[in-house]
Order: sequence, then C-alpha cells, then structure tokens
Amino acid sequence: MRASMRDSPIDFDRLFHALGDPTRRAIVDALVEKPASVSKLAGPLGITLTAVMQHLEILEQAGLVHTEKLGRVRVCRLVPGGLDALERWIREHRTPWEQKLDRLGEVLGEENSAG
Amino acid sequence: MTAIESNIIHSTFVIERNFPWRPARVFSGFSQPALKRRWYAEGDHELHEFHMDFHLGGSERLRYRFRKGHPIAGSEIANESIYQDIAEEKRIVMTSRMALNGKTIAVMLATFEFVPADAGTDLILTHQGTYIDWPDGAKMIEAGWTGLVDRLQKDLAQ
Repeated sequence: MRASMRDSPIDFDRLFHALGDPTRRAIVDALVEKPASVSKLAGPLGITLTAVMQHLEILEQAGLVHTEKLGRVRVCRLVPGGLDALERWIREHRTPWEQKLDRLGEVLGEENSAG
Repeated sequence: MTAIESNIIHSTFVIERNFPWRPARVFSGFSQPALKRRWYAEGDHELHEFHMDFHLGGSERLRYRFRKGHPIAGSEIANESIYQDIAEEKRIVMTSRMALNGKTIAVMLATFEFVPADAGTDLILTHQGTYIDWPDGAKMIEAGWTGLVDRLQKDLAQ
C-alpha cells in the first residue's frame, strides 16, 4: 500500500520543512496523544478545516502522519517510526565526542546492572 | 581567488554530560582499560591497537583503519596521548597527537572534570585543538556527513 514510500530514500528537506512550522508541530503534538479526526484537530488550533488538510498533506508527504477515511470521518494518526529517520539523523550528526560519551553511558549502564 | 587560507585552525569546545552514577563509577570508564576500550576505541572501524597506561606521564595509543564505505576508507588514524594530570575521581588532563596515514593532523589538549551532582556526576570535557594542514579538511568532513546521510538513506530504504 505504502510500499512506494518505503522504497524511496528519506527526503530530509520534506521532513524538516514539515516540522519547521508551529501549527504542524501542534498537530503532531495532538496526535502523539491519540488519533484524531480532522475537525477535532482544527478546533483547538483555531484554523479552518481546509488549512488543517493542507498541513496534514505536508505531514503525510513527509511520512509522519497517515490519514484515512473511515465512513464519513477522516482519521489522522502518527505513522509508527515516522520520526525514526530524524532520530537517526540527529544521532549520526552528534560530534565524535558526544557519540563517545553516549557509548560511555551505555557501557557504564551495563556495568551498573551487572554489578 | 586570491584568498590566502591558513593551514592552521584553532578550535575549542566544551561538552557537559550528566551521568546517573557517582564520580567513582564514571571515572572508572576512563581509568579501566577494558571499559575505556569499549566506548572509546571500538566503533565502526577496524581497530588495530588500543593500549593505555593509566598513570601520570603514562601513554595511550589508539590506531584504527576506516572500513569500506567510509569516505576515506583504508586510511589509518593513529592517536598518541599522554596523561598529563590525574586526580582520582576528579580530573584527567591529556594531550594527544592525531595522525592520518602518518601525518600529524591535530594536536589536542583534553581536560575531563568529574563533578558530583545531585543525581550523579557532571562530566565536563574541555577540548582544545590545533588542526594542522588537513588536506581538504572541509571537503572531507563534508564528504563524511554526506556519506553518513547516504548510508542512513540506504538503511532506511531497506
């Protein structure tokens, strides 16, 4: 169904653009809690349904949000693992010493539980 | 076109990190060779040598080769350090020379401070370096980032 999306490389321009807008981040914040309908999302944001749909389209293209029509309602939810690419991107871009100290924490953590 | 580029770059950075353990434990990650090997020497490269002699004036040697797929695959990094100051569970000061394929590319001074904090230890690393005549350094670093993103994209595409 969404195979074409998986096959294509992550588009970081789209990802950062999608998250570079406060309204879209507010939508993501809301969806972290639970799936929601478009109108439920629009209410607290104080914007029109059309505007929400436009934001959702950008979030969908970035692979962060999935929407589907269930009966008469369009339901939106976060894509599981949608932020993984971002997480990995950040991890890969930590400086060598930050990465080393991440590993130090892991190593000491294991020692801790062992001892 | 006529800009003269210096072959020397000076750079200092500070990293602070809180660990949820007492200074003794965090310090052990630096003083015990078996532990330090795991977080410091091992990694995504072919490790050739790691040896440390943890006492005042003692030396540490780290040599590794970049694996296939790395922008400078096949190149060897050798890092030779001296423990210039050790205060048990409080402080480690070391100087290091880093060579790429036998040529010095950086000389560094690293100070690690282990400060007791409410919920453990604040580790403060102050890293001062002189980076020497790194051939196409900026390009290599850029290639490094690009390579990482490429690898990430390949991984994710699978």
